[in-house]
Amino acid sequence: MNQRLKLLISFGIPLLILFMPASFIPLDNLTLVEQRMIAILFMAALCWILEPIPVFSTSILIIVLELVMISDKSLVIFREDGNTLGELIPYGEIMGTFASPIIMLFLGGFFLAMAATKYRLDVNLARVMLKPFGNKPKFVMLGLMVITALFSMFMSNTATTAMMLSILMPVLALFPTDGKGKIGFALSIPIAANVGGIGTPIGTPPNAIALKYLTGEDYISFGEWMVFGLPYVLVILFISWVVLQWLFPAKVKEVDMDIKGKFLKTWKAYVVYISFILTILLWLTDFLHGMNSYIVALIPVAVFTSFGIITKSDLKNISWDVLWLVSGGIALGLGLEKSGLAAHLIDAIPFGTLPAYIIIISITLLAVVMANFISNTATANLLLPIVAALAMSIPALAEFGGVRHLIVMTALSCSMGMLLPVSTPPNALAFGTGYFKTPDMVRVGLIIMAVGYLFIHLFAYLFNTAI
Amino acid sequence: MEKLFIIVVDDQREVLTTVSSELEALGSLVFVEECESPAEAWELIEEIDANGDYPAVVISDHVMPVKTGVEFLSELSEDSRFADVKKVLLTGLATHSDTINAINQASIHRYVEKPWDKEEFLQIVRTLITEYLLEKGLDYQGYSEITDHATILRFMKDNG
Repeated sequence: MNQRLKLLISFGIPLLILFMPASFIPLDNLTLVEQRMIAILFMAALCWILEPIPVFSTSILIIVLELVMISDKSLVIFREDGNTLGELIPYGEIMGTFASPIIMLFLGGFFLAMAATKYRLDVNLARVMLKPFGNKPKFVMLGLMVITALFSMFMSNTATTAMMLSILMPVLALFPTDGKGKIGFALSIPIAANVGGIGTPIGTPPNAIALKYLTGEDYISFGEWMVFGLPYVLVILFISWVVLQWLFPAKVKEVDMDIKGKFLKTWKAYVVYISFILTILLWLTDFLHGMNSYIVALIPVAVFTSFGIITKSDLKNISWDVLWLVSGGIALGLGLEKSGLAAHLIDAIPFGTLPAYIIIISITLLAVVMANFISNTATANLLLPIVAALAMSIPALAEFGGVRHLIVMTALSCSMGMLLPVSTPPNALAFGTGYFKTPDMVRVGLIIMAVGYLFIHLFAYLFNTAI
Repeated sequence: MEKLFIIVVDDQREVLTTVSSELEALGSLVFVEECESPAEAWELIEEIDANGDYPAVVISDHVMPVKTGVEFLSELSEDSRFADVKKVLLTGLATHSDTINAINQASIHRYVEKPWDKEEFLQIVRTLITEYLLEKGLDYQGYSEITDHATILRFMKDNG
């Protein structure tokens, strides 16, 4: 589809919704604010699916359009008409999504990752951790996968994949004519990175977005997430390794990973090591000290900037696009909720009469399918606010773990989008190495996706019966 | 999409023809332009810039009448608009002091000696194009056929 058509669809349909008489929309007593919110929702969905503009700019557009059209300081013509106008949203709340606690959690994660990369903690850890796996190809692959998954729990999946592939590429170049073995190794890294992201709330943006909707009695701490996240990652990782060994056995007898470097021993490096360990410990022990994970995330930000570990120029390397992509999703959720549209929609559509398991299966399947074709974060941005509202209105969900389970399952499903090279940035990076073709990735991806999907339900079942 | 240009400067017609035919391997994603003198190259670069397109790589001979390649590339790197253009000196006749100037003043990115190896030369150009795309923040994925993947990985490792 060409760019003009994409633009026409992505903005034409929302404009049509904006200007059509409210009676055309099959919702009773629709307010103007709600109608504008429907237009923004359509624009968000179409822009994230068709990508006529970059995904992060769609997010910024959502925030700005909400401010201009449905905030209490919106353009004056949008504030006229008393009867059907509806509830305007305080502008400060909409702007506040840029600095939502979720964003701060991710910012903290970025600082940890930046410091680790700058002080070569990542490469040095990879070197030390890979040693015990020896030099038999299958165990080297297992080692690479475990390390990649572990790193991607705290660093961005993309940066982890880039780092591990740049370690692996020179080694693969030396593989004689072992086509299959190369395919297996090149695929193992993105798979481990995609799966590893599930392990912690900061592992991948969908997890953090899920936290946004897990409030009150559904609150999940960093440690509680890891209680199910970590075993899940380990199980899927192990199965992926077995599948890769089965489909792409390596013929070479030995693989020698030669990673150069030494642990830095300057005082700044020690500050990085200690802060890294302390931050993770604080994240896991919130029940002792009372600071939640959002507050803990800002401690390394303060420490690293005070000690000159992260400098002014390093700040420019922060992935603002990721932060703003998430902000837009939060703003979308805020708009849906505060405009009353979410509740209105749920009332109008009789979800309550459907069996709960049908709802769970269709939402999680939808998430997996969407995440394969569009950004995982955009999928979470679109689905989670709707799922959160929907879940509250279905009492039957309680026997399946309620709102909390459905939200977590949806977030996890967003990470299962890894079938194609375009599905995730790690997949694209690995595909670029040229060691495998799309069908190779699809073959492995299908198996892991199916297994991963089943295990999401299995884990949900186990945790539901355990509690 | 914006256009990327590779500009080849040499006073010998045959060299221009050889270089641009070798660069045909890069396909139609980049435009290769031949210039017989630095003056002509300057005019072209200004025009590319005025159109909002990108002069990504300049490959220049050294020994030319009127202005040498090192002088030309030095001018280019002193101009803030083109300081980040990737510069290659392609020559067989540079003296020791020319070479020193090429590095210290013209800040060239690669030095290729005539006669050159076609594959190595192509690899150099690919790497430089990739670096240029990444440094300029352009959509490198649109150029996946001609970019160098190891360069992308190195960049993404720090900026992913």
